[in-house]
Amino acid sequence: MERYDLVVVGAGPSGLSAAIEAAKCGLTVVVFDENSRPGGQLFKQIHKFFGSKEHNAKIRGFRIGENLLKEASACGVKVILNATVIGLFRQREVTVRIGNEIVHVKGDAILIATGASENMVPFPGWTLPGVIGAGAAQTMMNLHHIKPGKRILMLGTGNVGLVVSYQLLQAGCELAALVDAAPRVGGYGVHAAKVARCSVPFYLSHTIVRAEGEEFVTGVVIAEVDHSFKPIPGTEKHFEVDTICLAVGLSPMSQLCKMAGCEMTQAPTGYAPVCDKTGQTSLPGVYVAGDVSGIEEASSAMIEGRIAGAAVAERLGFLGAAERDERLKQYEAALSSLRKGMFAPENRGKAPKKTEEGLPISMNLLQKGYMDEAELEAYPGMIHMPGLHPVIECTQNIPCNPCQDACPRGCIKIGADLTALPSVDVSKSCSGCGMCVASCSGQAIFLVNEDVGEGFAEVTMPYEFLPLPRPGERGMALDRSGTPVCPCEVVSLRSAPAFDQTNLLTIRVPAQMAGRARQYRVGGAV
Amino acid sequence: MLRIQEHPILGSTEERRLVTFTLDGRELTGYEGEPIAAALKAAGVMVHRYTAKQHKPRGIFCAIGRCTDCVMIVDGTPNVRTCITPLREGMRVQTQYGVSAQPYQEIRRCNKNGEI
Repeated sequence: MERYDLVVVGAGPSGLSAAIEAAKCGLTVVVFDENSRPGGQLFKQIHKFFGSKEHNAKIRGFRIGENLLKEASACGVKVILNATVIGLFRQREVTVRIGNEIVHVKGDAILIATGASENMVPFPGWTLPGVIGAGAAQTMMNLHHIKPGKRILMLGTGNVGLVVSYQLLQAGCELAALVDAAPRVGGYGVHAAKVARCSVPFYLSHTIVRAEGEEFVTGVVIAEVDHSFKPIPGTEKHFEVDTICLAVGLSPMSQLCKMAGCEMTQAPTGYAPVCDKTGQTSLPGVYVAGDVSGIEEASSAMIEGRIAGAAVAERLGFLGAAERDERLKQYEAALSSLRKGMFAPENRGKAPKKTEEGLPISMNLLQKGYMDEAELEAYPGMIHMPGLHPVIECTQNIPCNPCQDACPRGCIKIGADLTALPSVDVSKSCSGCGMCVASCSGQAIFLVNEDVGEGFAEVTMPYEFLPLPRPGERGMALDRSGTPVCPCEVVSLRSAPAFDQTNLLTIRVPAQMAGRARQYRVGGAV
Repeated sequence: MLRIQEHPILGSTEERRLVTFTLDGRELTGYEGEPIAAALKAAGVMVHRYTAKQHKPRGIFCAIGRCTDCVMIVDGTPNVRTCITPLREGMRVQTQYGVSAQPYQEIRRCNKNGEI
């Protein structure tokens, strides 16, 4: 039986991070993963991540995955793929199914980093081909380059539902509607806004009544729900779709922990093993990190992995206690900065009425996915001044600050508190470089020049769709709800390696549309 | 066309070898190494199998090998998870009825005629 200092189950963000941390301390580490590719769900994440520099903010998920793999292989982490861990026994003996063989290995420490699985919601017709998980949609389009469908309805407005909806649009699918039984959008407002301005209608307080079709999905019926989530008769709406995508939350994949005898608990973040802040479970030497210990997201999973890796290294004598404490202090600070703001784990299920700055939260944003122009005026990122300037439509306290670092002239301020709303310093002049637009993971920053002469204004927006508009081309400007508001002309389209695939599209619109035009649609004369 | 040729973030899909395989005897093409389910999806195939008891259709659901909804008979072996099994040249893929390749209507007809 082979023996390792650390056996990691799962080569996702937390498992790989733990393996790297431990291997760098000199431990022999093996990582088993049941999939044929490492990286967990990271390689399906094509959007830019939130957070600050230390959290890999503004880097797209799949690039973070590539970097993790490079780092893991550089420090000698052994990753064994197509290897399913099927048992964890006393004295940390692990059984792994590889092909048709069962292999036994032993670890002086075990880290379970099995991640999460998608929740499902049953309704008549939910087993029909064409009803898929949001993760399946991501897998199909972002890994295998296949559209999950032509016309899709998304159930769930958490970050997964919103992010996958946007990715479906990027893949060239049509989105019929975003539906959620909750009365409010669950995910980040900025994610909702970028879907809404692509003309996708939001149906909050609605649920799926049935999927239609004999052999596969041909349509779907939704209805409004009452306070007890029961459909209200007479409110049914029908959509012709070929695909229904379910994004109704995640649950820790904690079966292995339970099987091994870890003490378990039902927390708001899922049924997960009880563990201390280093991930140590009730079984000595058995650790957990990432979503298996409670649903969060990839950025925090990676830090939890680092913490567990350092804790294991100290436990096995590869790291002094003082050095471990030093590292834990640093990692815990990074973790707690991510766990702040309106979407912090302790705020789950709560609906704050005001931001930390005391500004009212827009109910439009929470119910329709976009804000009214008038509502935005109250926010510190929304300014008016002569000449070119940024407009920041970031209205919720989320842990993210790349915009602050992006501006070479220091126009944008967030301060030390990662969740503070960004504000624009009107005493500084904007060079128009567009780095803030490209670095905003929420695509919530625009450059506006309210008067370029002859009664026109220019609006620069992030643009991540194909085909790329060409200068001189005429199309339609859409407002935040995705409603066409005026014809417009493309002034320029800028791409640069530093923008990382976010193109900067500048359109010219009548001056009175400077505050409304937020999206561009090819063609479509009025 | 469900294949994404050009993606705003991921760029163009890397060149892969086009191979032929069969679905219930019908010749289809797909890319070597992609999941069988991806090739079927691109070919417009939605139904992978029919359930054993109620004969209900099933197709891709999780696409990561967990749910087993997409299992089919591949080269004679039933219950192959097509969403995580790479496509190879000449694969013989069959719609799965329960765990058999024989469509239910044929089974019913056989039973009626007293022959299995």
